[in-house]
This record gives sequence, C-alpha cells and structure tokens, in this order.
Amino acid sequence: MDNPTIISITETELDLDALMRSVTLSSTGAAVVFTGMVRGITDRAEPHKTLYLEYEAYQPMAEAKMRQVAAEIRTRWPSVEGIAIVQRIGRLYPRTPTVLIACTAAHRDTGVFEAARYGIDRLKEIVPVWKKEVGPEGQTWVEGEYIPQKGE
Amino acid sequence: MKIKILFFATLRDYVGAKTIELEIPAGTTVLGLKESLVRSFPRMIPSQNFILTAINGEYAADQQVIPQGSEIALFPPVSGG
Repeated sequence: MDNPTIISITETELDLDALMRSVTLSSTGAAVVFTGMVRGITDRAEPHKTLYLEYEAYQPMAEAKMRQVAAEIRTRWPSVEGIAIVQRIGRLYPRTPTVLIACTAAHRDTGVFEAARYGIDRLKEIVPVWKKEVGPEGQTWVEGEYIPQKGE
Repeated sequence: MKIKILFFATLRDYVGAKTIELEIPAGTTVLGLKESLVRSFPRMIPSQNFILTAINGEYAADQQVIPQGSEIALFPPVSGG
C-alpha cells in the first residue's frame, strides 16, 4: 500500500477520527497527532483574553508548502508511513482545533514523535497562513518571525 | 509590463485591497517593487524590512527580477497553526 499524504485547507470542522483512519495502514503501530487550538486565556508573556481568531490563507501556495513540509518529513524520517497536515481557516473560537499534524509509523521509536513536531514547527515557518486575533480590547494580526529564503 | 499583486493580512489592510494590477518596467526587482509600493502606501513603512514576497507561489529574494506576467504575493511572516 502507498504511504498516504493528506494535505488540506478547510473551513469545516476537523474530523480527527477520520483523519487518523486515513493515515493508518495495516503495518502502522504508532501515531503521533498534534493539534493546535484557539486559546481563550493566555497567561504566558503578555496575559490577555481572546474572543476568536480569524484565519486566512494564500491557498494554492499554502497547499504547495504543506506538501513540501510532508516531503521534508519523509526525507528526514523515511520510516514515517502516513502524514496528514490540515489547516482550518475562517473564524474560530476558543477550544476549537485549528490545525492537525499526524504522522504514523510501524513503531513509536522510529522518530515519529520528532516528525510530527517538525511538521508543526515547519508549517509555522513557511506555510502562508495568518491569523487575526480579536479580543475585548480590539484586534491585531499575529505575525511570525521566520523569514524564508528564496526557494524555501 | 503588467503584473498582478496579491496582499495578505496586515499588508492588505495597509493597501486597502486584496489585489491590484500594476504596470512596472521590465527588469524591476522584488526590492524595487517593494520600494515603489512603500512610496505609494506609506503605512507599509514600519514593516518594510519584514515583507515576504512570493513569485508564482515560491519565496523570492530581493535581488530577483520579476518575470513578465507573474503573480506576486506580498505578506508578513506567516502565523498559521
């Protein structure tokens, strides 16, 4: 069976069970799933409250860059079987999952934890998606810090 | 030559449009385009050193010459997840 790679940008609710099924093979014995969610109350750094986040994407480029992240994972961790990278966009409220990275492998000691970690870290560097944070005090665009190089 | 420029996030707010079409001289570089946009839209000044540019969906360097008919996207460092 071919190793599945699921890439998607969606405005609909993330179905974690369905995504897990789609990256699980007969040979799979381990899955690492990361999901980020909207945090309503932030205590770290500058404490504040969030009413909702508004996500937008440069869709064709974002999908291409998510594919690139998956390819980079496969180069670094060849034993990874299935990969799902899904970003939800639109208006999302606290406690809602916004992104999912799932990596599967035959065993847990294959680098599959690191692979999923790399997936979310890399998505936050090169996938063109932005969020505007709306709180009781007003709204601000969240900006990252990473400056990708040509062709990255 | 004519190019299409897409703006996202803060840059769209500064420019007040999602997309514009612009006539630029052949040989214009990414940096040259950014400098001319910053002159037209001074609200971009504080973030001008942190504007990312994509040409036809690939990250571009400042020295790169913009090819005829390309789709350019300008946006701040990404913040997805």
